[in-house]
Amino acid sequence: MGSLPYAADAESPLKPAELQVLRAQYEKEGPYISLQTKFNYSWGLIKSSSRPDQQEGVLLLSDIFKTSPERRRECLYYLALGNYKLGNYAEARRYNDSLLELESGNLQAQSLGQLIDEKVSREGMVGMAIVGGVAAAVAVGVGMLVRGAQRKR
Amino acid sequence: MTGRGRSTSPRRQPGHSRQASNDDNISDTRQIEAFGRTVQATASQLIFPGNDQHGTDPYKSALTSVQRQLRRPLIQRSVFSFTQQSPRELLRGKFSTSEVEHRALSYIPQELIRTAPAGQSPFSLFEGFKASLPDTEDDGRGGRRKRHGRNGSKLLEGPQEHKGPPQLVKMKRERDKLDHRLEMMGIRKTMCASEIREIDTKIANMNTMRRVVLERLAGLEQEEHDMEVEIGDLAERVAEMQEMLEDEEALAKQSPSLIAEGEAERRAADKKLETEEDDEEAEADMDASFMSESIYGKLPKAQESPRSKAKRRMPKRTISMPVLHEHMEPGTKIRELQAHNDVITAMDFDAPFGTLVTAALDDTVRVWDLNAGRCMGMLEGHLSSVRCLQVEENLVATGSMDASIRLWDLGQADYNPAQAAASNNITDKSSEAEDAEADKGSDAALFTPAASVADLASQPPPQGDAMADCHLFTLSAHVAEITALNFRGNTLVSGSADKTLRQWDLEKGRCIQTLDVLWAAAQAQTTTVNTSAAATPASESGGWWKSGAGRLRGSAEAAEQAEADFVGAVQVFDAALACGTADGMVRLWDLRSGQVHRSLVGHTGPVTSLQFDDVFLVTGSRDRSIRIWDLRTGTIHDAFAYDQPISSMQFDARRIVAAAGEDVVKVYDKADGRQWDCGAGVLAATAETTSRPSVVERVRIKDGYLVEGRRDGVVGVWSC
Repeated sequence: MGSLPYAADAESPLKPAELQVLRAQYEKEGPYISLQTKFNYSWGLIKSSSRPDQQEGVLLLSDIFKTSPERRRECLYYLALGNYKLGNYAEARRYNDSLLELESGNLQAQSLGQLIDEKVSREGMVGMAIVGGVAAAVAVGVGMLVRGAQRKR
Repeated sequence: MTGRGRSTSPRRQPGHSRQASNDDNISDTRQIEAFGRTVQATASQLIFPGNDQHGTDPYKSALTSVQRQLRRPLIQRSVFSFTQQSPRELLRGKFSTSEVEHRALSYIPQELIRTAPAGQSPFSLFEGFKASLPDTEDDGRGGRRKRHGRNGSKLLEGPQEHKGPPQLVKMKRERDKLDHRLEMMGIRKTMCASEIREIDTKIANMNTMRRVVLERLAGLEQEEHDMEVEIGDLAERVAEMQEMLEDEEALAKQSPSLIAEGEAERRAADKKLETEEDDEEAEADMDASFMSESIYGKLPKAQESPRSKAKRRMPKRTISMPVLHEHMEPGTKIRELQAHNDVITAMDFDAPFGTLVTAALDDTVRVWDLNAGRCMGMLEGHLSSVRCLQVEENLVATGSMDASIRLWDLGQADYNPAQAAASNNITDKSSEAEDAEADKGSDAALFTPAASVADLASQPPPQGDAMADCHLFTLSAHVAEITALNFRGNTLVSGSADKTLRQWDLEKGRCIQTLDVLWAAAQAQTTTVNTSAAATPASESGGWWKSGAGRLRGSAEAAEQAEADFVGAVQVFDAALACGTADGMVRLWDLRSGQVHRSLVGHTGPVTSLQFDDVFLVTGSRDRSIRIWDLRTGTIHDAFAYDQPISSMQFDARRIVAAAGEDVVKVYDKADGRQWDCGAGVLAATAETTSRPSVVERVRIKDGYLVEGRRDGVVGVWSC
């Protein structure tokens, strides 16, 4: 497999004019679209910063995955990257792990795996902190209620 | 406390997370629900301590129970999954409809992922992306670059005197850029090549699918045909029953004493009907028992009842249309029959996979079932060989060298496919083996094996009396051989060597009109302004027939048995008649007036075949050409030249086929304007076998179903 993009590459959006060119190419080809055009457009969409565009990019990529068996391994990587950007870490991890199972020596896939872990734990931490804080507040509030009820008795 | 539970686990066992996440998608929700239930239980215990039995320490017991729950591995796994998914993602996945939709649409099953093959292309899609992207930038700049260049050059010209190296640097940069672009082109080319390979594999898969479905279609058509036969039988039986009942009623009206007799006989007949198989003898018995002499004489419909002798009507495809041949590759062989042992002189069929009638120089006329590939019978009656024939649904008209035209109704034929099949079974195996070797296409397996040469010799004469009742009537008013005929509706027009055309009414069986071609030709010549024709009208009209014959006698082609027929071809449509004659003229007659209203000049040899539709008239002649005339203007629309004289031609909606003295049929596709060859000679040419198939004499086409008759008596059926 040729060179794959690092995750940082997916974070840099294209200029809107460039994206428009890709979109025009995609629409011009009609029903007999070539693989490269489709990929170009979907990658451009994934790189963009708007969420609907990213989602559409992932949709197109999954389409490419289903229709061309030859390109499936690469698509796993792109899909993992796209889902990572979208925040669907479970899916991203699923694709990335499958890719590592098939090709364990893939550097980009390994680095992506680490990134996903970091992101998840960080978000998880944040989420846990929030939930923990909320639970603590609820527990305190409930405790106060109980004590108040006991005192009333 | 729930927070405490959560905060401890990830710190304790970070390693488990990766293993556990793989298969916890299903156990996720269940365990989370269970967890949630325990949380609810503990919360309710906390808030309503009064319900508790233990009294003193509901809080502690609740905590211990929660901790016990947490220690369970499944719960831990589900909690780990929380860490994998991140709460924000979870919420999004469960509650946002667009998110759920998106996930459903882009879902890829694990199977596909696991079986992803290693990519064989040297460049990844991303590299292709990079390769194509700079181009877009360059293209945008490319147009402007020239302007830049112009401006730049102006700018450069100014400081050129004291800034040499920057210009060199700039040029080097441009060269590098172009080198880079060249590399990118290489990458894009490789991407396209790999795409093409993928598409090729897909096409191969589609072709196999197409073959499978085509076979299915063939099976269905066969079933359809069998079902139609059954329906025909049952309809007959119903009609018979009804007739019997009606006769019974008629009898009842006449004399009540005979009712009892009739009833008794009918009961006997019914019993016989119930027990009988599809057997002719049983039906003959029934006739004898039902219609005894006394009743027979008194039946009011006595004239019609003899006809009600059970006849197996030939199944006609009224509902189902065979379309199998339309889906085959053009040029595939459907069947090959050794119809006769001599040159095929005339041939026609009514519908694809229907009935074919062939006539040859051996003075026989045979009727064939194209669906099964079997001879159904022979039409006997002519004293000499048949030169022309036409088949239109059940009606066959044959014109022979004995100057008579006979009309036959194939619906009266006594063809029993079951019996024919039984007699053919012996030879089936041998012919199957032959066909397996001979046929190259995979379509060979679709059809019942064709009757080969061996069949003709070994099988018994196919029910010699099968067609005995077919003959309707004979039209005999011509005095010389009939060379061309055509009928439509109730009008039949025939051309003969006695230099006349006769129009017949098929209902009455009488000749309505006689058109003298020579007289009409003379008329036309004296009235036209054409000086060359008017010069010697008498010698022209007398001489051109002789010269035509002389030309042929002098030719070295002794094998050509058919001489130039005076009337080579006719076609009639309502009151319009077109005929092609040996002088190369095509004359359009109005049957109401009996005059030629237009002559089409162009052919330099006798016209052998002719056909018109509402726009064009196509003629083939011995001058080796086919001409297409526009009927509205009367001028030539198109013409094709061949190497040999055209002996037969026909067209359908899409193509014009011609027999041009070769072992292949020449096909002209009107849609693409393409000329190609169809037939046995094509395969022989490529296979380079020593025995070439013989020259095609006659062709017939209908909806892409092509039938050709050859000089050695073989009839080939092809999809065109």
